[in-house]
Amino acid sequence: MPKQIAIYGKGGIGKSSTASNVAAACADEGHRVTIIGCDPKSDSSITLLRGRRIPTIMDLMRQGMDIREEDIVFSGYKGVRCVEIGGPEPGIGCAGRGIIVAIGLLKKISKAIEDTDLVIYDVPGDIVCGGFVAPVKKGLVNEAYVLTSGEYMPLYAANNICKGLSRLEMTLNGVICNSRGAPNEENIVSGFAKEIGSRLIAFIPKDVLVQTCEREGFSVIEKAPDSGIAEVYRKLAQSIMENKEGKIPTPLDDSKLRELTRI
Amino acid sequence: MPVKEKEPLIMHPRPSSIVAALYTLRDLDTDVVILHGPPGCCFKHARLLEEDGMRVVTTSLDESGFVFGGHDSLVEVLEKVIRRFNPKRIGIVGTCASMIIGEELHEAVMDVQPDVPVIEVEVHAGYRDNTKGVIIALESALAAGIISEAEFERQKALLKEATMVEKRHGAASKEYLAPSRGDLKFKVAGRLLELMKQGKKGLNILNAKKETAFMFADINLDVAEVAGKTGPGSQIINMANLDENVGLPKNRRNASEIKEELIRKGMDIHHITGGLDEYPIAGDTASRIIGEKYQDFDFAVITGVPHALPMDHLKNMELFSITNGPRQVVPLKEMGHQHVMVEIDLHPKTLGVNHIVESEFGATLREMSKGA
Repeated sequence: MPKQIAIYGKGGIGKSSTASNVAAACADEGHRVTIIGCDPKSDSSITLLRGRRIPTIMDLMRQGMDIREEDIVFSGYKGVRCVEIGGPEPGIGCAGRGIIVAIGLLKKISKAIEDTDLVIYDVPGDIVCGGFVAPVKKGLVNEAYVLTSGEYMPLYAANNICKGLSRLEMTLNGVICNSRGAPNEENIVSGFAKEIGSRLIAFIPKDVLVQTCEREGFSVIEKAPDSGIAEVYRKLAQSIMENKEGKIPTPLDDSKLRELTRI
Repeated sequence: MPVKEKEPLIMHPRPSSIVAALYTLRDLDTDVVILHGPPGCCFKHARLLEEDGMRVVTTSLDESGFVFGGHDSLVEVLEKVIRRFNPKRIGIVGTCASMIIGEELHEAVMDVQPDVPVIEVEVHAGYRDNTKGVIIALESALAAGIISEAEFERQKALLKEATMVEKRHGAASKEYLAPSRGDLKFKVAGRLLELMKQGKKGLNILNAKKETAFMFADINLDVAEVAGKTGPGSQIINMANLDENVGLPKNRRNASEIKEELIRKGMDIHHITGGLDEYPIAGDTASRIIGEKYQDFDFAVITGVPHALPMDHLKNMELFSITNGPRQVVPLKEMGHQHVMVEIDLHPKTLGVNHIVESEFGATLREMSKGA
C-alpha cells in the first residue's frame, strides 16, 4: 500500500506550497507521487505543472463528460501525477458532496491513488463539513500532518483540526511549522506539538523565493534546487517518507493554548 | 473526451433508487433494514415491505442530525435493532440527506460489531435510473458474501435490460407522461369474450415483475378458464415467466407458488419464458416462440410488463394489455396495443401473500362470461 498522507492547516498558511514542494522533492528521489487537490480553488498542483491549470473532476462532471482516467490525471514535474477535484462556485451547491463524489469516481477509474508510492491529499483549510474528511473516512489516508505558524490563530486552527482527527481516530504523524517570522516561533510550535502528543518534524523559514517561484509557476525544488529553502523541503520530504510514527492527538483547551502562545 | 449523450429531462415522478434498494434487500431475505435518514423518507414503501415480513426502521434524522451528523443515532438504532429483533441479516440504507452530509454507514457497523452480516447500501434517490439502487444493494451483498459473483453478473445484465425496456417504451420514454386509467374493463372484457366465442386463436402471456405476478396471474388464469368454457373451438396458448430455478430466494419461492396454484386450478402452462426477475428478457423469449409457432394467432392477452414484448410478431394480432402503471397506458397505445387496462394499486395487494390475488379485470371477465 502506498503512503497516503493528508496535510491540514488554516487556510492560507502554505499547505499547497508545502505539498507541491514535498511532492517534487520525493519525485527527485525517484518515488512515484500522486497529489490530489481537494480545495474548490484547485491550486494544489499548479506549480508542478508550470502554471498550467488542469480541468477539475467537478468541471468535467458538470459538463456531463464520460470521465476517463486520462481526462483527470495529469503528469507534472518528473511524473508527479496531479488531480484537482475542484468544486462549485463559492456560495452555491455543496462542495463537500463534490469531494465525496469525486473521491468515489477516482477510486473507480484510476490507479493513481493505489499504484504509487506516495499520495498527498491537499485538503481545504477549514473542515467545514463531512465531505471534507471523505478521504480519511473512505480509508484513503493513513497519515496526517498539521501545518501551522507560531501565531495564535493558525495554532487555534491546528488545535481544532486535532479535535477532528481525534474524533475520527486518525493518527497525527507530525507538525510542520511554516514560519511567518513571528517571535520565538519554533519554540512555540515545538511546544504545541509536544503538548498534543506529537512532534515538530520541520521548520520552514519564511523565504520570498517560494513566492517568486510560484508566481512563475514552479516549485522551488524545480526552479531553485540549490537554494537553502529547497534543502529544507527535501529534508521534510525525506522525514515524511521515513516517518512511521503516528499518534492520535490530544487537543488542548483554549486557556492552555493561549498560555502556550504567549510570547 | 466523449460527452455523454444528454438524456432528456423527465418531469413525472418515477421510482426511487432507495426504494429499489429496499425491495432488493427483501428479496435477499434481510430481516431488518435501517433507513439512515429523516423519519418520513420512503414511508409508504417501508410500511408495505413490513407486509412481506421485513422490518424497516429509521434513524429519524432531524434538522440537528443534518447539521451535526447522524452517526450516534445510527449506532443507537443498530444496537436497538439487534436487541429487539435478534435479526440474522441486517441492511442499512442511505437516504438523500445522510449521503449529502457524508455519513459513513460503515463507521457505525465498525463501532457496533454485530455478529450477523450487515448489507450497507450507500444510496440516495438522485439517480436517473432506479435500478442503480438495486445494483448498489447487490454490490454490497456480494461484498458481504451473500450472493455469488455469477448471480451478481446475471442481475446486473437483467437490470441493464430493465432500464432499456423503460427507456424504449416505459416510464422513462418521454419528457412527460400523463397518468391514465386505461380502457374500461367491462368493454374490453366484452370484446375479448366475443373473440373467444368466435373460436379465435389467442395467446395468454404472463410477463410480470416479481411479486406483481400474484395478481397478474389471476387474469391469465381467468382468460384460460373462460376461453375453455366459452369457445370450445378456440385455442389458447399460455406462456408465463414462472421458472422457479433462477433468481434471488424470494423470487424463486414466488414463482413456484404461483405455478403450482395455476396448475392445481387446471391451467396448462405451455411455455415457461424465464424467471420472475427476467421480465426484461422473457418478453424476447416469448416473442421468439411466437415467431416460430404462433404467428397466425388472432389475439394476445399480455399481463405485467407488456411493453417488454417486442412488436415484431404481434403486429397483426389484436392486443389486450394489462399493466399496473397508470403512466404506461400512453406508451402501450403508441406501440399499437388496442386495449390497455390498468390494475390500480396492484402492487400493495401482492405484498405479504403466497397465493393468487383477485384482479379487477379477471373478476369482470369471469362475471361477464356467466351471462354469455
